[in-house]
Amino acid sequence: MELTALHKQLLDIIQTDFPLCPRPYAELGTRLGISEQAALDAVNDMRHAKIIRRMGANFQSAKLGFRSTLCAAKVPEDKMELFVATVNACPGVTHNYLRNHAYNVWFTLIGASWEGMCETLASITQQTGIEILNLPATKLYKIRVDFAMGE
Amino acid sequence: MSTHFTPTEEAILRIVQADLPESTTPYADIAQRVGCSETEVLELLHRLKDNGAIRRFGASIKHQKTAWKYNAMVAWIIDPAIADTCGELAAKHGNISHVYYRPSSAPDWPYTLYTMIHGRSEQEYHDVIEELQRTTPLQTYAVLSSLKELKKISMTYFA
Repeated sequence: MELTALHKQLLDIIQTDFPLCPRPYAELGTRLGISEQAALDAVNDMRHAKIIRRMGANFQSAKLGFRSTLCAAKVPEDKMELFVATVNACPGVTHNYLRNHAYNVWFTLIGASWEGMCETLASITQQTGIEILNLPATKLYKIRVDFAMGE
Repeated sequence: MSTHFTPTEEAILRIVQADLPESTTPYADIAQRVGCSETEVLELLHRLKDNGAIRRFGASIKHQKTAWKYNAMVAWIIDPAIADTCGELAAKHGNISHVYYRPSSAPDWPYTLYTMIHGRSEQEYHDVIEELQRTTPLQTYAVLSSLKELKKISMTYFA
């Protein structure tokens, strides 16, 4: 689907600040000069077209008492399938990408305890024979701003 | 730290960690599903947004389907003594969404400052790298462009 100016204006608002009030689409409509139904339809169109992957809360894991880390591994081709299947089977692995570097598999791991996460990584290494580089962030300078969709 | 929630609050959070109902009254719908009032739903969400436990509330979009199609994780070798300077300079750039410092002791991975760079064209993110080299202490880098998404889910905090 092609994004119209209206879709882009909506995305600019609802990526960060979907209204927290009883009639959120009426509020969006008021801000953009359209009806509640038109705002709902435009958002639902983008949900159905999968431009919007999900609508809801994005939590800051640390504030909920969780830890997170980025992991990297050098995985040879003959072990790739096993390694990816083993990593992806962990519920705390939220993102996993094949990347064009000697360290070719990069994934993020979130867990309720650091010890538990280290055990998870040790278990992946034990099952696959692949060493994993564990790279927790010690400093965070910026996290996820939204990009303007409007022109 | 709001790590302890009532069963009703957990039920609300289980829904908003997944997907909002597609109706004009999503919060009333959630309230009905968990058996509380709409006000309780809205108050909980406001509270968690105010204290930062909810970082963003709204739409997560697929950037590949918008104009921002090109992105790469670019990791830089930096002097740890000026990590903050480097991190803050990178954070200022409008095409960069994430900046983290992740120390590494691996001899074959000396890159420690991670920048997620976005562009509307491949040229645009190359230009960002050049601009950083020209205007900041960031010089030596590795581009980790993604060849394939192997997994992408939202974390289940409330099971």
